[in-house]
Amino acid sequence: MTGGNLVWTAQARDTLRVVSPAGRIDESTATAFAEHLAQEIEVAAGDGAKQLAIDLSLIDYMSSRGLRGLTLAQRKSGDHGITIVLVQPNDIMREILAISRYDMVFKVYDTIELVPSGAL
Amino acid sequence: MKVRFWGTRGSLPVAQKSSAVRDKIAAALVAADGRRFADTAEAARFADDTLDFATNGTYGGATSCVEIEAVGGPSDDGAFIVCDLGSGLREFGLNAMARCAAGHARLYHVFLSHLHWDHIMGFPFFVPAFDPGAKIVIHSGHPDAETALRRQQEEISFPVAFDWLRADISFRTLEPGQRYPIGAVTVELIAQHHSHVSYGYKFTDADGKCAIYSTDSEHKIDRMDGESAFVDFFTECDLVICDTMYSLADSISMKEDWGHSSNVIAIDLCHEARAKRLALFHHEPTYSDADIQRMHRESIRYEELTREAAPLDVICAYDGLTVEI
Ligand SMILES: [Zn+2]
Ligand SMILES: [Zn+2]
Repeated sequence: MTGGNLVWTAQARDTLRVVSPAGRIDESTATAFAEHLAQEIEVAAGDGAKQLAIDLSLIDYMSSRGLRGLTLAQRKSGDHGITIVLVQPNDIMREILAISRYDMVFKVYDTIELVPSGAL
Repeated sequence: MKVRFWGTRGSLPVAQKSSAVRDKIAAALVAADGRRFADTAEAARFADDTLDFATNGTYGGATSCVEIEAVGGPSDDGAFIVCDLGSGLREFGLNAMARCAAGHARLYHVFLSHLHWDHIMGFPFFVPAFDPGAKIVIHSGHPDAETALRRQQEEISFPVAFDWLRADISFRTLEPGQRYPIGAVTVELIAQHHSHVSYGYKFTDADGKCAIYSTDSEHKIDRMDGESAFVDFFTECDLVICDTMYSLADSISMKEDWGHSSNVIAIDLCHEARAKRLALFHHEPTYSDADIQRMHRESIRYEELTREAAPLDVICAYDGLTVEI
C-alpha cells in the first residue's frame, strides 16, 4: 500500500500489529501519513490487536506534522483500546523524538522483539 | 532595521536566585583553572571568550517587550515602535527618556499582541506616560485594549490612576488583512489562536527589511491546515520572533489549549516560509538559564536535522539583545 510517496508494509503478530512506513515525513507527506495510520488503526481494531507498533527503521526523519500525526493516531487508537508504540528509530529520528520530548509520551523500543506483549 | 529585546520571558517576570548566581561563579572558577587575571577587564574578556551564555550571562526575566527601530519611508515620524507592554517596558521607558533628552521624538507607536497581564503589566511603570510632551498611540487588534489598560490602574490594583498619566495617550484598533503605514514601517496583523485571541505583527521598513512578532500563538493539532496562513505571513522574512514556550510534546498533551507553541513548530513554519532567522521567545518562567540554553541548542540541532533548503539561523532572545537586520 502507498500513502503519499511513503511505502507501507504491515504484519500482524497476534495482538500486535506492526506497520512499516518508508520515506520522509514532512509537510508534503504528513497528511497522507496520518490518514494511512488511521486506516491501520481500523484494521488493527478489526483484528482484535491491542498494540500497534510503528516501525520507524525506514523513516528518514519526521517534522512536527508527522509527530503530531502520531499524536492524532494515538488518540484514535485509544478509542479502540489500542496502544501505539514506536520501534527502531534511526539516529536522526531518535534525536527528533528526544528534542520534541516525544520520547516522554510514546514508548520507544530498539527492536520489535523488545515490545512487551503477553502474546509474543 | 534593528530589533531590541527588552523583555523575553513568558507569563511571569522572574529573577535569579542567589544559588543560581553562585553556580555560575563556581562554573567560571572551574573554567579559569587557576589562571591569574591582571584586572576585571581581562577577567571579563576571558569570560566572554570561554564561558557559555548560561554561565557568563542570563536570558533575563522581564516579560514581553520588543522595540523595532527603523528609519525612512513616507510615514516616518521619528517615533519609537514597541511591541507589547510587559515588564521589560520599564527599562525601555528609562532608555527612551535618555534618548529623548538627546533629541529623539517623544512619540511612541505601541503594538499589542493581546491584553494578558504579562503583556501589559509594564505600562503603569512606563515613565514616558508621565511626560506631558509625549504622545503614545496604542495599536491593537483588540477593541477592548483601553479597558484592559485602565482596569489595571484602578485603585484596587494600582495607586496611580490611568487618568493621572500626563502623556497624550490614544488607542487605535487595527484589522488583519490591511496594510498600515505607521511611523517608519508598514504594519500587518494576523489573528492567532490564544485565549481572548492574540495577533501577530509584520513590520516592513522602507528597505523591505521585515520582522515578525508572533507570540502567545498556539498552532492547534486539529487545525494543521490553518498553518499555511502563518507560512504565508512569515514568507522570506528576515527575522521571525516566535513563542517557543513549550516542548512539542507538552504543547499537545498536558499543556494543550494553554495558548502557546514550541520550538519545533516554529522551526517548521520558518523552514516552510523560507524565513532567514528565528528568535526563540516567551521563555518558560520555570526554566533556568541552563534550561533555556539547552532548548536553544536542541532547536539549532532540530533545524539542521530537518533542513531541506537554505539554513535558518536560530537565535535565542534574551533581555538586552539587539539584532541588526
Ligand atoms: Zn504571554
Ligand atoms: Zn497570553
